[in-house]
Amino acid sequence: MPAEAVIETRALSKIYRDFWGRQKVRALKALDLEVYKGEIFGLLGPNGSGKTTTIKLLLGLLFPTEGRALVLGKDATDVSKNERIGYLPEESYLYKFLNAEETLDFYGRLFDITPEVRKERIEKLIKLVKIERARKRQLREYSKGMTRRIGLAQALINDPDLILLDEPTSGLDPIGTREMKDMILELRDQGKTIVMCSHLLADVQDVCDRIAILHQGELKELGRVDSLLTVEDVTQIRARNLTDACQNELRDVIARHEGELLEMANPTTTLEDLFLSIVSDSEARPGRRVVGTAAKADGG
Amino acid sequence: MVLEKEVLPFFTWLLRGEGATFADGEGALVLFAIVVATVFVLALVGGFLVSLVRHGPIRAGEIAYNTIVGGVGELLRTSFRRVAALAAVAAKESVRRRVWVALVVFGLILLFASWYLKANNTQPARLYLSFVLTATTYLILLLSLLLAAFSLPADFRTKTLYTIVTKPVRAGDIVLGRMLGFTLVGTVLLAIMGLGSWVFVNGSLAHTHRVDIESLEALRSPDGESLGQRGLTSYDVYHKHDLTIDTDGSGVAEGAHSHTHQVTQNGDRLEIGPAEGFLRARVPQRGKLRFYDRKGVETARGISVGNEWAYRSFIQGATQAAAVWTFEGVSKSSLVEYADGGGEYLPVELIVRVYRSYKGEIERGIQGSIQLRNPDTQVKTNLRTFYAKDATIDSFDFANEQTSTDQLPITILEDLVTPDGRLEVIVQALDRNQYFGFAQADCYLRRPEGSPLWNFIKGYLSIWMQMVIVIAVAVTASTFLKGPIAMLFTVAFLVLGLNREFFVKIAQLESYGGGPVESAVRMVTGMNQMSPFDPSSAVSVMKGIDFVLAKMMLGLSYVLPDFSTFLGRVNFVAEGFSIPADALTRDLIVCLAYVVGAFVIGYFCLRAREVAK
Ligand SMILES: Nc1ncnc2c1ncn2[C@@H]1O[C@H](COP(=O)(O)OP(=O)(O)O)[C@@H](O)[C@H]1O
Ligand SMILES: [Mg+2]
Repeated sequence: MPAEAVIETRALSKIYRDFWGRQKVRALKALDLEVYKGEIFGLLGPNGSGKTTTIKLLLGLLFPTEGRALVLGKDATDVSKNERIGYLPEESYLYKFLNAEETLDFYGRLFDITPEVRKERIEKLIKLVKIERARKRQLREYSKGMTRRIGLAQALINDPDLILLDEPTSGLDPIGTREMKDMILELRDQGKTIVMCSHLLADVQDVCDRIAILHQGELKELGRVDSLLTVEDVTQIRARNLTDACQNELRDVIARHEGELLEMANPTTTLEDLFLSIVSDSEARPGRRVVGTAAKADGG
Repeated sequence: MVLEKEVLPFFTWLLRGEGATFADGEGALVLFAIVVATVFVLALVGGFLVSLVRHGPIRAGEIAYNTIVGGVGELLRTSFRRVAALAAVAAKESVRRRVWVALVVFGLILLFASWYLKANNTQPARLYLSFVLTATTYLILLLSLLLAAFSLPADFRTKTLYTIVTKPVRAGDIVLGRMLGFTLVGTVLLAIMGLGSWVFVNGSLAHTHRVDIESLEALRSPDGESLGQRGLTSYDVYHKHDLTIDTDGSGVAEGAHSHTHQVTQNGDRLEIGPAEGFLRARVPQRGKLRFYDRKGVETARGISVGNEWAYRSFIQGATQAAAVWTFEGVSKSSLVEYADGGGEYLPVELIVRVYRSYKGEIERGIQGSIQLRNPDTQVKTNLRTFYAKDATIDSFDFANEQTSTDQLPITILEDLVTPDGRLEVIVQALDRNQYFGFAQADCYLRRPEGSPLWNFIKGYLSIWMQMVIVIAVAVTASTFLKGPIAMLFTVAFLVLGLNREFFVKIAQLESYGGGPVESAVRMVTGMNQMSPFDPSSAVSVMKGIDFVLAKMMLGLSYVLPDFSTFLGRVNFVAEGFSIPADALTRDLIVCLAYVVGAFVIGYFCLRAREVAK
């Protein structure tokens, strides 16, 4: 790939030790990775596979036991790289005694940006993550979803080039999840590089350009999502308003060409789509009970 | 007033300390440099050894190099903008954690004090001042300790630090931000407490009297001319005053319980004004003290020995024994104009500790004498006698015109002060078998007095400096220790600092019963402190360990803050003496040195720490 690498790890390893220096967990084993400018890179793996550890190593929150990580051309432990990085932790670790505005103002002040730009960004971000109504409330009163949103806003306060998201959709309802995914895609379209980790396959599949699959601290698979997921010997056809006759004709055509028909049926929609359509319907016509209409909604 | 140590002029203290020249290496600057160099080398060697064990020699070398080069570079990149942001959050955190409850507690303490402290003391100002100053000190130190020691560990625990260190924040910003934030909060609280204390002290001391009409008697000169009146005031708040009133009705209620009142005439009524002179800021010019023994032979010390600044020696009454102070730099500017314009006088003040070998007449006090003498020509003024009460300040105004012991008219400036400005004050006890006790600080020439309010503020400044040191040490401790442990560490630092002299004594193996291990052995075996051990290899090992421990303690004692000095400053205020500017500057520099030292150590500790561990 010709694009420039934003993140580069070389044999990056992490062993957690206890106070006495005894080995506890080998959380990451000799990871070699490259993340390129402008892509959404997904770290996928079951719980405890080392995703968070990787992200913390990239941020310098942990020191590598062996190997090294280069982020934006600098060593991961170099603080100055943080000028261009945004980070959303697993849970939002923010001061609960501040309100949303104070929070963004505080984190904004840690960067070298002018007060006017800071104010402007705070306004923009509060709108972007949709917490206008709660902007004056202390974070201790926030729900999980709202905390996640302010967490994301906080990560974007410096208009970063590289954004690291640890389980960005955890704790969000399906609408929040959808919005989060859309925001991630939008950020990519603005030319930012995004690294996210998740154990939710659907999330990763929806947004990531490339993924790495980790298991027990080892890299198992690495590549473009589309090519990894393409099943070479299967072709899928989806169509609307086919008559029975037409369907039979198709069967015949497939049989004639010695293909194997795997399935031809009416699809079920996903629960996510069902849920989203119910909610949007209910927002359009408040108060009305919605029963049985959603089945018509098509999974498109 | 007891002065533990001479207050050296600031630059003397900074450059040569007790030593004769800079080269003696006793100046504060040299000691500071030695401490810094030692800590630096120890930290470097220690850090290198730890990484050697963990990562092997090559990595260890690399880490050491990065720490020094990168570390120092980043230390310089500490930014005021970020420090200010972090300080503001630390301050906000304290406010949301309800630090102002401390003010409520302080209010309750004052309330309690107003009900509990009785002004039946002869020096009520001292009582009130030392109470509020001590209460403020302990309260503010406790508070700043709690704030500073638990904040950073809480951020580690709640992981809020993750979000901060992933911004371009240097470890130094975090450490300095905390120190600054808590100092800000502490300063505001301290200012409020100071204001409250000032109002409380003045309010508690405020009182007035009525004229006791029955006691008034007219004063007449031998030829029957009216000279005014004499009498007593009413008895209020445990005292009354003698009154002298001029023919025009103005007068004074004379000194009792260390204050006076003005008397004015309003129509045909005499009115007594508010109390005056409770709060003082005397500026003493101190001299050197030596003694004559009972045979009149000069000695460095009187009866009983000790440090002449800290301990009193005694002279016996009705013998040749005398205490002699030599003052330097006495000149025309040492004299004060009389209020009524009748010439000039030299104000001398004396504090006598009275030791009675028999009871005598307690109310009357013990008779003593005071004289001025020229140290070269030995010309002396006539004996001036006084009755000394224990531990009170006696003021003597020596008019410039005096009579010598040869009954010749002399003046202080021409006949008693030597050309190079020296003058002696001689004090003797006159009652047989009674004793006077003196320390060097007990006699002084009184210079023009400072403002009591400013002195009070200086007292609060010295509390403020203690607070800043505690905050700095606690924040630094919390970069590598958990909250409660960081607090204990700081408390240990404080307590050892308060008892620094004792600690140094143990470290120099000067105290009875040997070093720490030896004392423990003696205690456990119930052995007497003096009896020697039978020589054996176990005893040698014990002495060996003690020796090493003692050296370590001695090393530690160099970094302990001398909190007893700081507390001593508060005594100045309570006793009504101006805190010398030299002392204040020196304390400020010491405070700054601790902040800088703590900051650098805290920075490296935090930097070396894995935040997400
Ligand atoms: N601070 C820590 N101390 C010890 N072990 C840890 C620590 N953090 C994570 N681990 C262990 O490291 C492994 C990887 O954890 P993590 O990176 O959090 O996984 P993931 O984010 O993929 O769920 C797990 O086995 C976990 O228990
Ligand atoms: Mg994780």
